[in-house]
Amino acid sequence: MSLMRQVWLLVLGAVLASLLGSVAVSAHSVRQLLQTQLQLKNSDNAQALALALSQQHGDRALMSLLISAQFDTGAYQSVIWRQADGHVAFERHVDPKVSVAPTWFVALLPVQVPAGAAQVSDGWTALGSVEVRSQASYVHDELWHSTLRSTALLAGIGMAAGMLALAVLRRLRRPVDDAVAQAHAVVEGHFETVQESSVPELRPLTVAMNAMVLRVKSMFEAQAEQLHVLRVQAHFDVLTGLSDRKHFLAELSSALARDEGPLSAGLVLVRLRDLAGLNQRMGRPTVDQILVAMSHALKAYPERVPHCLAGRLNGADFALWLPAAQVAEETAHALAEALRVSLPAFGGGIQVALGAVEMARAQPLSVWFGAADAALARAEAQTGYVVEAVASPDGVSMPQGERVWRAQILDAIQQGRNRLLEFPVLGRQGQVLHWECPLQLQLDAQAEFAPATRWLPLALRSRLTAEVDAQAVALALEASEGDARMRCVNIASASLLDGGFVARLRELALRAPQAARRLGLELPESAASAHFELVQELGRQLRPLGVQLGIEHAGPGLAQIERLYQLGLDYVKLDAAVAVGVAGDASRAAFVRGMVIMLRSLALRVYAEGISEASDAQALWACELDGITGPWATGALIAK
Amino acid sequence: MIERTATLGEAQRLTVINSFFNQHIAFREDLEVWGQADYWASPLESLGKGRGDCEDYAIAKYFSLIAAGAPAERLRLVYVRARLGGQSVAHMVLAYYALPEAEPLILDNLVPEVRPASQRPDLQPVFSFNADGLWRGVGAASAGGDPLARLSQWRDVIAKARAEGF
Repeated sequence: MSLMRQVWLLVLGAVLASLLGSVAVSAHSVRQLLQTQLQLKNSDNAQALALALSQQHGDRALMSLLISAQFDTGAYQSVIWRQADGHVAFERHVDPKVSVAPTWFVALLPVQVPAGAAQVSDGWTALGSVEVRSQASYVHDELWHSTLRSTALLAGIGMAAGMLALAVLRRLRRPVDDAVAQAHAVVEGHFETVQESSVPELRPLTVAMNAMVLRVKSMFEAQAEQLHVLRVQAHFDVLTGLSDRKHFLAELSSALARDEGPLSAGLVLVRLRDLAGLNQRMGRPTVDQILVAMSHALKAYPERVPHCLAGRLNGADFALWLPAAQVAEETAHALAEALRVSLPAFGGGIQVALGAVEMARAQPLSVWFGAADAALARAEAQTGYVVEAVASPDGVSMPQGERVWRAQILDAIQQGRNRLLEFPVLGRQGQVLHWECPLQLQLDAQAEFAPATRWLPLALRSRLTAEVDAQAVALALEASEGDARMRCVNIASASLLDGGFVARLRELALRAPQAARRLGLELPESAASAHFELVQELGRQLRPLGVQLGIEHAGPGLAQIERLYQLGLDYVKLDAAVAVGVAGDASRAAFVRGMVIMLRSLALRVYAEGISEASDAQALWACELDGITGPWATGALIAK
Repeated sequence: MIERTATLGEAQRLTVINSFFNQHIAFREDLEVWGQADYWASPLESLGKGRGDCEDYAIAKYFSLIAAGAPAERLRLVYVRARLGGQSVAHMVLAYYALPEAEPLILDNLVPEVRPASQRPDLQPVFSFNADGLWRGVGAASAGGDPLARLSQWRDVIAKARAEGF
């Protein structure tokens, strides 16, 4: 039984006991009082009557009359004149009146009062005695009424006391509940401070909890700081501060594989020509300055555009990935113009070649670089600041308008033309931790099932992500009810903006409470930074039902999310951009290890995404990861 | 004295007890003895003081007779109007009824010997009482704790007498 309920019952018991006790005591004392009064009345009236009778000189008629008069005008049950020899000389009596009090009450509190007696005489002659017995029913009437009155009064007082106790308890309960809620939140990896309790007994508790939360916070901040240093070492080119080749390629392949993003995108390669010649002519320091100036021109893009990537591929080559259609050539020209203005300041004879290419995002990395290298080669054939562009050879433009996509997506959901794929996330012992389930839609009844990379941009533009995501959750719940596997589905950040989305998911989860405990929802890292409160609310609504909440495609940005420790997550999936290539690179591995340590301190499980090499998997296990997914995991499961 | 009289006949017992109290208690007004206008003393209080007024005699004799075995219903305390030197005064005597309807014997302090009522023309009875009704009313066992006990002079003295062992 809860503490509050116990206290409440105690109060209730005490009030009830005192109520019953006081009613009983008052009834008893009132009975005693009335009984005494009745006895006195009997006695005194007998004396008075006897005194009057003694003055009648033995005239029996007169005495009988007196007795009758007294009997008729008073509340008597009987008046008996008994002669000295014991015979009854005169008697008046009526049946005892019935009291208005219920019989059980009369039986519970009997009133027994002896008759009053007094001697009657005429001169020296004894004429016997009179016995006077009063009606007793009014005692019970009075007793009954007074008991009712005192019961009502005391019940009122008791109720008031109970209300007061309830109010005080409720007041007491709030700080207790706050402290308990905070404790729960801490257990769930949700570190929040609460207002210090005003109750002296609880204050040390809340103070301690708050201190602990603050300590976690400072620890987290220190780790984030350290992680930042590790990241700079692991991912960035020392001279320019851009991503190094390995990291840029990892980032790019992750960006190409990601569900969210444009259908087609652009890649610009920039090369400072004749690096060796420049080094000889101008000296190394000057060339370094040129390279830094070029990197500054490139950096402007990722700083302004989210998901835009820039990197230094090797000594003289830079790359810029633009997550938008129809901008590659334009950007390359703008970049060439900027360099043409700034670079001559370092000396003459500087030549820069730029190759721009625009392609469907679904194309593999090698195709992207093949096309871009070809464009770059053509640009290098010319002198000066040259831009060569390759238009998208496959033309992935969607001919239909928004209305058509909307209808296609809605049809696919409503007509059941959708399915979940399943990719395993493997644990350290090779066991399946859960299944990653991306949704596929068959947009056209004749067409193939399309992955999210294809329909998600359409859904985003038609504002249908909430519909699609809810469908994915429904499918996952349905499937989990059947086979008891844990499934994780992706949720787009745009869905969180839909007002009714969380309530819808909650309803789905409530409808399948068993399966809800085997459901994971994954949000992109950007959702956590852009819609912190919404993600927090999602967790608040669904995690109590057993639904797990995770962040996918998590990269260095995760550590930069303020108050990550208050988000309330269950796990984090590290982006391929971070996790791939750990095998041969100690600094990358150190960064991953740092992330794991930081996230572990927040009671989060850490998985790695997009792993295809066994060597990487090996290195990641060494970094203490909880699980791995990607082609390697799928292959390993099949091999088993 | 009471033990001694217990073995005697009725008439003798009356005489002994009547004389005993008449000799051992000097007549004084309550105001003088107790500082109160009217005070009914118990037998031991009266003997202790050695003084008392008419009701103190009657009370002392009443309880002593009952203690000596006289049936209570034969005894009555009687308010009388006594003619004393041509004046009427309120007085109290003890009457002994050998039979319920018979003429009583009067135990008095004005006339020291026990006489039948007919030989006491100076006394005119007004009202008689005894402890019969009260005994029943008060309850035999609990005179001390009875809330009624001290409400009247008579009840008060009954309670005191019982407390003293009568």
